[in-house]
Amino acid sequence: MGEELRPEEAARALVEIEQRHEQVIRLATIPTWFWWAIAGLIVGLSAAIESRRPLVLGIGIAVFVVGILATVGRIVAGSVLHAQPRNDLVRPAGVIAILGFVALVLAVTLPTGFALKAAGTRYPATLSALICGVLIVLGGPLLMRYLHRVMRANVTGGRR
Amino acid sequence: MIKPKFDELIHAPTRLSIVSLLAATEWADFGFIRDSIGLSDSALSKQLTILDEAGYIEIRKGFVGKRPRTSARLNSVGRAAFEQHVRALQEIVAQAGASVLPR
Repeated sequence: MGEELRPEEAARALVEIEQRHEQVIRLATIPTWFWWAIAGLIVGLSAAIESRRPLVLGIGIAVFVVGILATVGRIVAGSVLHAQPRNDLVRPAGVIAILGFVALVLAVTLPTGFALKAAGTRYPATLSALICGVLIVLGGPLLMRYLHRVMRANVTGGRR
Repeated sequence: MIKPKFDELIHAPTRLSIVSLLAATEWADFGFIRDSIGLSDSALSKQLTILDEAGYIEIRKGFVGKRPRTSARLNSVGRAAFEQHVRALQEIVAQAGASVLPR
């Protein structure tokens, strides 16, 4: 039958394959709210620590822990309940991009925090956490877009 | 190098959709496949059984809490057959030229 299949039908089948792959890749999407939530939690924790009030610190730590568990848990649960995209779709390029993003955030925020502290700024950790938050909110979706591109390139089939 | 080989079992429209979904996953939940493709429970069960009997997929039955849960994954035989089938489709399209690609 393969030889009898019209090229138009074969092309349609390839489009169908591509669309199904896209459905799976979309499952791996980390939504924008996640990046905002993580950024907010980091800034909140830093502010709580720098408040130097035990009650505020206690509440800050509790909110941070519950918030991280809830946001990460929600993302993981979505994957567990639906489907797990193939591990090898991300490939080394994707892993390097993730590690690079983490390294970039640390490379910017840690020296900034130390510099602000050295300059005698009042809330150095909170200010550097704010910068960290901005990087996460701006960079997270860009990272996801790149990872999707890598995943699309690695999945079999489609019109490539 | 993947050798092109048209696979009639995979090419049936519903099964092509199922296998395409599974090809991009480690495993997929029954409900996810059903909702993604728009099949009834019985229709999906039937297609999964055909793929299972062909030796293309593994079906896992388990529990999440007290709820029964079924998931499926493409095994190495199924993955190889799918890749060969895709290559065969790509060859048919390539031989006809780019003009057949739908927009």
